Amino acid sequence: MSPRLQVLVPAEMDQLRGQPIFAGIPEKARDKVIEKVRKYIHVVSFNPGDVVLREGDYSDSAYCIVEGAVEVVLGAGSGPAERPEVRGGAHVPPAQRPGARPRAEGMVGRGRGTGGTVILSAMPADVTPGHRTILEAGEIFGEIGALSRYPVSATVRAETPVTLLQIRLPGLRMLLAASKEFKKFLDERYRERTMARHLRSVPLFEKVDDEFVERVKEKADLLSFEPGQVIVEEGTPADSFYLVRGGFVKVGVRAGGSDLAVTYLRKGDYAGEAALLLDEAWPFTLQALEHVEIVRIGKDDFKALSARYPHLEESLWAEMVARLKLRGAASRNPVSSEYLQMAMETGLIHGESVLLIDLSTCTRCDECVRGCADAHGGEPRFIREGQKYRHWLVPTACYQCTDPVCMVDCPTGAITRSIGTLEVTINEPTCIGCSNCANRCPWGNIIMVDRGEKRPDGKPVELATKCDLCLERPEGPACVQMCPHGSAVRISFKDLERVTATLR
Amino acid sequence: MRLSQVLRPKEPGNLRATAVASAVLVVVFVAGASAWPWSPKRGLGLAFGFLATALFVFEMLYPFRRPKARPLGTAKAWAQAHVYLGTLAMLAVLIHAGFRLPRGLLGWALLLLSLWTTASGLVGVWLQKWIPAALAEGLHVEALYERIPVLIEQLVAEADTLMAGADEVGERFYRTEVRPSLSRPSPSWGFLLDVRASRDRALEPFRRVGEFVDPSQRTLIDDLMNIYTEKIELDAHYSLQGILRRWLVLHVPTAGLLMGLLAVHVFAWVWY
Repeated sequence: MSPRLQVLVPAEMDQLRGQPIFAGIPEKARDKVIEKVRKYIHVVSFNPGDVVLREGDYSDSAYCIVEGAVEVVLGAGSGPAERPEVRGGAHVPPAQRPGARPRAEGMVGRGRGTGGTVILSAMPADVTPGHRTILEAGEIFGEIGALSRYPVSATVRAETPVTLLQIRLPGLRMLLAASKEFKKFLDERYRERTMARHLRSVPLFEKVDDEFVERVKEKADLLSFEPGQVIVEEGTPADSFYLVRGGFVKVGVRAGGSDLAVTYLRKGDYAGEAALLLDEAWPFTLQALEHVEIVRIGKDDFKALSARYPHLEESLWAEMVARLKLRGAASRNPVSSEYLQMAMETGLIHGESVLLIDLSTCTRCDECVRGCADAHGGEPRFIREGQKYRHWLVPTACYQCTDPVCMVDCPTGAITRSIGTLEVTINEPTCIGCSNCANRCPWGNIIMVDRGEKRPDGKPVELATKCDLCLERPEGPACVQMCPHGSAVRISFKDLERVTATLR
Repeated sequence: MRLSQVLRPKEPGNLRATAVASAVLVVVFVAGASAWPWSPKRGLGLAFGFLATALFVFEMLYPFRRPKARPLGTAKAWAQAHVYLGTLAMLAVLIHAGFRLPRGLLGWALLLLSLWTTASGLVGVWLQKWIPAALAEGLHVEALYERIPVLIEQLVAEADTLMAGADEVGERFYRTEVRPSLSRPSPSWGFLLDVRASRDRALEPFRRVGEFVDPSQRTLIDDLMNIYTEKIELDAHYSLQGILRRWLVLHVPTAGLLMGLLAVHVFAWVWY
């Protein structure tokens, strides 16, 4: 597999004007929009056989074929998967403790991850495992993966010499906002190609038949929300079912004069069960924490569709009870809610396993760092320094994000997420030290470490290192196990019960 | 609140188990001592000697908890076992001696070293609970011990830059009263009792000077005071984290010595 070491050339106005993706923009505004979007668009060329997108990679770009053709090949690892667990101290089920876990260099079919879904998120065509499909000039691919942040589930290779326009996510969003036609085009593509798999990946819809899915595809609205935008307001009539396609949504309630965070939704999560079951007003406010993509199904449509599936109603009741419990827990433990709010504001909710250190019991003995170093050939993978919230320290250690943006644009595919887990690891033999992952990590949790060697040009060899939750250590993360005072914990803020029990 | 935190055991179950075990040991001693004359050299007295030795040997295994040695369980479990079994070991020593004072020099040395090692260990437990709680509750700044001198140097550089624009009064105040104590860590035992000790007194000159300088210079003095406050917090960290690192010198060497004398004691018993 050849590495993607492509030179990106900024796209010129003339090159862009004739592209079909801009056709939907009114002529008067077209040049202005292109000018605005242009900085996010690059021309990139590939030789036959070069890999454009690799199965399992995360991508933040859509690609529009200008010249040539690409082949799309779907590997074996594309079936729906259970929601993977992340290792991390106490909340690792013993059965998942590895022993015989795949070593980093043995990982294949990466990216069976987030939200329990592996969907054909990036491809514009129906591809069956083991078969290949050819896409030609004018086709666009990768847009759903970029917008919804699902891992790419098929490999795209250049079939002939190919020239592509690489449109990065901000540009893609600008285009969606500027061109109704483009949005409609992408929405239809999502509806046609991806939505069925997305629905099936949600446990609620696991057992429904094809007819149900087809009807939902017809009836559903596809909505986008900007950060901070209120999706539904507590107390307003609940009239729809909302399924999160991408992004994070805050679920909050009013308590006195303040706003209490109850939980958050991420892709694959849903809300609106109260509307469907009780005809009641919204018991929560839903607010977009970042750019959010939603699939909305009207109450009446959903009721009509789900009449044949009693288990749907049971699941919705269970979900509603769980949410109301959370609401009660948040009201009774405002401190937990405060921590949750802090996690939303600081991005900790992105983490599937965030390392926290209780400074009120930590003796600063550095046993956690020493344990980490011992587990990684003498070099620790985290720094016991970071932000402090109340008496909790968030050290500089990888959060194992739900959407690992560090995995976007790794030229050699050295940074991977292993099958059935959420641990993001770096395979040292294939890391070339380009720093892409370190630069992309919004939290600065990937560190470039000097290997004590020199490159031919005399510069030091620095390779990316990060916490891998001690993947090869059967006992679990050394930092947690080696703390003599139990001050180091790993948590996901999604688990409010654990947040309440831990962060007092 | 801090006192309750310090007194609260991390694992109440372990405390209860130790209390029960202690009670059982004492009951066995009382029953044994009332049935037969108590002697450390035979019967139950000797058994308690074996128990104390076994517990002390286990205590000495504590350094082997690190992952390279592939231990059983977590470091926390080891630490808990170290604390509670160490306490039981001391009790076993006292029972072994029949709660009587020793006669020979070796006996005295063993008893005193056992008491000292146990007491210093318990002091360590107290310090390890008291200091982190104090640091977390009383201070805004968090710092790595090794980096504190560097952080202080950075504060000095920041203060120098800030006060380069000060008027004569401000500049003199900085040069004569602030910079000398700003430029190096100033550890103090006072922080152990009160982590915010003497802070008000240390900051009082800044408030006084603020009244004398030109109003346009007051922000400078306020900023300087913030830098100085940070320095005081770093001093507190330096002092208390230093204590947390150094208390082991009270515990580990005597523990080593105790083990050496214990070996002599056992050898003497076997030989003679």
